[in-house]
Amino acid sequence: MQVYLPIAEMSVDALLLLGIGFGVGWLSGLFGVGGGFLLTPLLILIGIPAPVAVASGANQTIGASVSGLIAQWRRGNVDARMGVVLLAGGFVGSSLGVQLFALLRRLGQVDLAVAFFYVVVLGTVGLLMVRESVRAIIRRRRTGGAASPKAHEHTWLHGMPFKMRFRKSRLYISVVPPALVGFGIGILSAVMGVGGGFMLVPAMIYLLGMPTSVVIGTSLFQVVFVAANVTLLQAWQVGTVDIVLTMLLLAGGVAGAQFGAAMGTKLRGEETRALLGLLVLAVALGLAWGLIRAPDNLFAIGPAR
Amino acid sequence: MRAAAFLLTLLLGWTGSAAAQAPAPVTTPALTADLSTDRVEITTGFTGASVLVFGATENLIGSETGEDVVVLAWGPPQPTVVRRKVNVMGFWVNGPAATFPEIPGFYAIAATRPVWEALPEETRRTARLGLEALPLRAVGAQAPAFRAALLELKQQDGRWQEYAAPVAVAGGRLFSARIYFPDTVQTGDYRIEVLLVRERRIVARQALFLRVDRVGTAASIAQVARAMPLVYGVGCILLAALAGWLGSVIFRRG
Repeated sequence: MQVYLPIAEMSVDALLLLGIGFGVGWLSGLFGVGGGFLLTPLLILIGIPAPVAVASGANQTIGASVSGLIAQWRRGNVDARMGVVLLAGGFVGSSLGVQLFALLRRLGQVDLAVAFFYVVVLGTVGLLMVRESVRAIIRRRRTGGAASPKAHEHTWLHGMPFKMRFRKSRLYISVVPPALVGFGIGILSAVMGVGGGFMLVPAMIYLLGMPTSVVIGTSLFQVVFVAANVTLLQAWQVGTVDIVLTMLLLAGGVAGAQFGAAMGTKLRGEETRALLGLLVLAVALGLAWGLIRAPDNLFAIGPAR
Repeated sequence: MRAAAFLLTLLLGWTGSAAAQAPAPVTTPALTADLSTDRVEITTGFTGASVLVFGATENLIGSETGEDVVVLAWGPPQPTVVRRKVNVMGFWVNGPAATFPEIPGFYAIAATRPVWEALPEETRRTARLGLEALPLRAVGAQAPAFRAALLELKQQDGRWQEYAAPVAVAGGRLFSARIYFPDTVQTGDYRIEVLLVRERRIVARQALFLRVDRVGTAASIAQVARAMPLVYGVGCILLAALAGWLGSVIFRRG
């Protein structure tokens, strides 16, 4: 069944979009991430123009994360104070990111930049995740029990000014590191069309030292609002948010996420992280191959602006 | 429907015109043509459309009489940029680009005989008959390869067509041709020209007009997104949030 996308100005198979939404939703439910990093490259792969794929991907992320946020909020797993600090950085970062995106679009380098960002970010994060989880698995096998929690270490982060008490996270740290983390992920979120949960979660655990119990909820808090900011700015300044595309992806996505989440409870933490890391790496490698492979046609046409 | 009615009046016209227009000298137009529709609507289920161009000539069409019919379709101008990929340190990146500011977004030509057989080059150039006759002036990179790539890629995605569909002739005088618009067709005003060619000259021509419009939901969405981008952005956020929340409620219970 073909459906016409009014902003992308093309028609695509609705079932294909529902299927992609379902598949990505299933994986995101399984791994507890938004799945934007899989969705945007897939959309580009089926021929959606990169600017529309990125903007609509951000839009879809809101829908994919909002129910998770509500559930986490009810359980009291959101450190709102930390969330607001992250968000402050996130708003600035994503606003700058959209400007950067608009500039790249004028220069005709959006496709390259999006692919490049993906390869570098996903490659790095994927490698780190695989390495960390494999270590954890090995450690668990050796000791025969659960990995011992990390001792609270004092690093250079604790010497920074503007300290604030984050009660839920049981932290007394400077607001600079979380604001910077939010800023960086905000930029990536605008350029890549992702929520950034897959980067935010490790950053919160390893950089900020937040307890795992509040990490998911707080990252969802940041993801939902940053994705909303990206959606608004992309719609306003670039004009590439396709609501028909978003809704089709969400229709498949929310269904898939429930199945994925049910299955995810049966997997152990380290194995899940290792699998997710491998998946992230695979996407990075696929996109890298697209950049280094000799193109079939050296020429490409596009609308001039 | 309209086509049948038209043909009917045309046939009646032939038999009845002598009596009806007795005082004036009897002049049958050398060429008459019309379109099956003057509006192509892009709906939510739009996958492309085709429009029938049909008409009749005074004389017989064909190689014996030397008369040919050429059908030409023009879309609104669509500035297009052609980019060439270059290898920078092992990566293929967009390199030099040529911008074609004044080329039609859609162009199709169909004829009973290829125009290069029927018309001299000068006429083809002034009437812009055939892709070769289109003035493709570029800003930026000037290499002929950009022009060639533009021609190739535009034909590949169906927005430029050269003899993609035939001009069919029935009974020697009635002709028809189909113009196919792909799903990526631009909205705007389209001009369809029908030319009658005799002895390497264009002896008659008729211009017809067609409008491509978005209608229904697709139109409203595109219109809101363009006219009120902030409202549209807020709407997208709320709809996505609502869909996500609703989905989780439905599937939790189900």
